[in-house]
Amino acid sequence: MTDSPQRTPLIAAGLLMGAGLGGFVDGIVLHQMLQWHNMLSGKLPPDNLVAAKVNMYWDGVFHAGVWVMTVLGLRLLWAVGRRADVPWSGRTFSGALVLGWGLFNVVEGLIDHELLGLHHVYEYTDNKLPWDLAFLALGVLQLLGGWALIRAGRADGLTRAAG
Amino acid sequence: MKRLILSAGLLSGWLSQPAWACRVCRPRVQAGIHTADYAANLLWLLLPVALLIGGGLAVYFAADVKRRFF
Repeated sequence: MTDSPQRTPLIAAGLLMGAGLGGFVDGIVLHQMLQWHNMLSGKLPPDNLVAAKVNMYWDGVFHAGVWVMTVLGLRLLWAVGRRADVPWSGRTFSGALVLGWGLFNVVEGLIDHELLGLHHVYEYTDNKLPWDLAFLALGVLQLLGGWALIRAGRADGLTRAAG
Repeated sequence: MKRLILSAGLLSGWLSQPAWACRVCRPRVQAGIHTADYAANLLWLLLPVALLIGGGLAVYFAADVKRRFF
């Protein structure tokens, strides 16, 4: 195999790990520590023990999903580590992590918050939209930052085969 | 990869068992989880995760697919 250097496998691994870890940040910080929302709290407000425990179950399903995503990313990263045609770049990988986190925030924000209304970022207010928009804005900033880091990593290491 | 997917499937099956705490409210919690909307809730809740996994795998295998078919 005389493949030309390709960065997309490392970017893909970073995307999945970043999105998965970003999902864990959402679950740990916003669901559990700050308790601003739960996965289904827009449909089933956790205003009694039973409703809170039902929401807890669906939070667990969500965490299982982002766990699978993180493990898949780790598996891809392992595969990338064995490929000589993929440049090993810290900037590319960390950029992909940030990009993945931003993608998670934007995709989850658009689908769950805006389209389906499963929950909103901060539910202890009558006007939920500003919080949802701020969450989306954070995601867009992460996308831009991640993209910039990935671009900066273009100059990093050609191929490990040459080493 | 197949073994990983199988392990994830087994784990998700195991995790689908509701918690055992709160014996008094447990039947109501179970009833609240396993409603007629269960499949829809599961689908909508995991939709962003599925999209992101699909996107990530597509990026990873894009070059191989392109090389093989185009």
